[in-house]
Amino acid sequence: MALIELRDVTKTYRRDTIEIPVLDSVSLSVAEGDFLGLMGPSGSGKSTLLNLLAGIDRPTRGSIRVGDTETSSLSEHALAGWRARHIGFIFQLYNLIPVLTAFENVELPLLLTSLSRKQRRDHVMTALDIVGLGDRTKHYPRQLSGGQEQRVAIARAVVTDPTLLLADEPTGDLDAKSAAEVLLLLQRLNTEFKKTIVMVTHDPHAAERASHVVLLEKGTLVESEKLEVQS
Amino acid sequence: MKLVGLILKSARRSKRRTALTVLSVAIAVFLFASLRAILDGFNAAAEASSSTRIVTIRSTSLIFSMPSSHVQTIRSIPGVRDLSWANWFGGIYKDPNNFFGQFAVDAESYLRLYPEVELPPDTRRAFLEDRTGAIVGDGLADRFGWHVADRIVLQVGIPVYGTEDFTFTIRGIYRSTGAAVDNQSMFFHWKYADERSLEKGMMGWFVSEISNPDQAAQVSTAIDQKFANTPYETKTDTEKQFQSSFVSMFGNLNLLLGSVGLAVVLTTLFVAGNTMAMSVRERTTEIAVMRTLGFQARTIFLLVAGEGLLMSVLGGVIGAGVAWAIVDARNFPVSGGFIPPFGVSARNAVIGVALSAMIGVLAGMVPATTASRLRIVDALRRVA
Repeated sequence: MALIELRDVTKTYRRDTIEIPVLDSVSLSVAEGDFLGLMGPSGSGKSTLLNLLAGIDRPTRGSIRVGDTETSSLSEHALAGWRARHIGFIFQLYNLIPVLTAFENVELPLLLTSLSRKQRRDHVMTALDIVGLGDRTKHYPRQLSGGQEQRVAIARAVVTDPTLLLADEPTGDLDAKSAAEVLLLLQRLNTEFKKTIVMVTHDPHAAERASHVVLLEKGTLVESEKLEVQS
Repeated sequence: MKLVGLILKSARRSKRRTALTVLSVAIAVFLFASLRAILDGFNAAAEASSSTRIVTIRSTSLIFSMPSSHVQTIRSIPGVRDLSWANWFGGIYKDPNNFFGQFAVDAESYLRLYPEVELPPDTRRAFLEDRTGAIVGDGLADRFGWHVADRIVLQVGIPVYGTEDFTFTIRGIYRSTGAAVDNQSMFFHWKYADERSLEKGMMGWFVSEISNPDQAAQVSTAIDQKFANTPYETKTDTEKQFQSSFVSMFGNLNLLLGSVGLAVVLTTLFVAGNTMAMSVRERTTEIAVMRTLGFQARTIFLLVAGEGLLMSVLGGVIGAGVAWAIVDARNFPVSGGFIPPFGVSARNAVIGVALSAMIGVLAGMVPATTASRLRIVDALRRVA
């Protein structure tokens, strides 16, 4: 059974009296353990699709199931709880909280759990060690490079051991070297830690790291292909 | 680091802004507590007034005096059991800024009518036997470092007492046992002042002790009727009314001070509210990220409202604490003998802190609601 099932998902935004279609009857399945690359030109609906998967936006029509949960029918309150347990989100601009240290940023999602302080500390250190920043715990975001910030953001996304990792152009704001490190890290999370990942990207090199690539154009799924994983 | 830790971290985001917000609330609470203390001082004097004492002044104004012939007339009124009188002296001790109440009184009767002026028997005797003797409140003695047997000189402040300085010997330091008498005043013999007065035998006001408090109105009317249509008409009130009318010379203090306090609190509310709203606007993306991570809307509400409450209460505690520490009669001896020493009471300090909490809650309400209702996707798109 697929981990993610999208059936005829349509999303339309309303600007004043004008309806703007963004996604048009998209159906998609993603198997557990997959690393799916979501490509397409600007405005094709990639990020909207990712937001729908993350449960931070709702489809106009259609259904979205992640694991056993029909997320499109959850209330706002239930959806927030579901996100905390099942979703790890990586933003293009990292979006770390500037007044928190790397440790505290990674700890943030764990504040919503019942873990003890020591357990939270162990989880945070494990996540930071995985991304190779175990020695940067007390650094604030402004004291880190872009690549390091994104790796902290990845640690924050994986610290709760979520069902699904969603990355919205995670290398879009990075130099080539940092981007390669981040992509390698995501690939490692997929292969070594069996994390299911959906990654939106413009970059064909980034997409090469995915085990599957889906193309979106004008809100419609136009092509699906399987790429060889580059190690 | 749980939610309180997050609030603290967030409040330190812009230290200057947080400090200024805390300071604005602190000033508001300081003013509120101080103004309340002044009002309480006035009201306490009226509340502590004796129900058996009535005060007679000139009908025109307290500042005009009456002839000593009034003494016998008032004493003859049925219901009047005892009588004393006093004059406002208005002398200057070294510097006009060293203001305090100085009263020329008929010492024996005055001490009889005012048991709140507590003196040891030997001190009382020494005072009564010394024509130039004076007694001072313990607060006043502390203020100027005076001791029994010290000689002090007062310059004449009111021309009617001539131009020559008055020298007094402190014969006793009294303790006030009631709010009707403050501990910042000086009492000396009326005769000593009258000897040098250019208008002999004039008295500022009379204090009568009446047999039955229920007859205060009748006795007061009887006194005033005795002097009706004479050059020295009188106005007699209970001590409480007298205190209140004295306060009213300053205008409607309750309304005045209350309006100032309200204006300060409302201004602070808008300042704090605007600061919180700015803070939330700057954190739109962060709030969206936290919501993406799974923070509930109500948690975001509590974080933002909690931050407003924290800053405001911190300001309140500082403001109330400073007011408590410095608003004291010893630092602000402005009572002039008519109002007891006043300071910020524990009650006013607590009300001040509660007020700051209210400011915090109200100021944080709108920004916290806005933050909790933020649509995640819209908020992320604003920056992306």
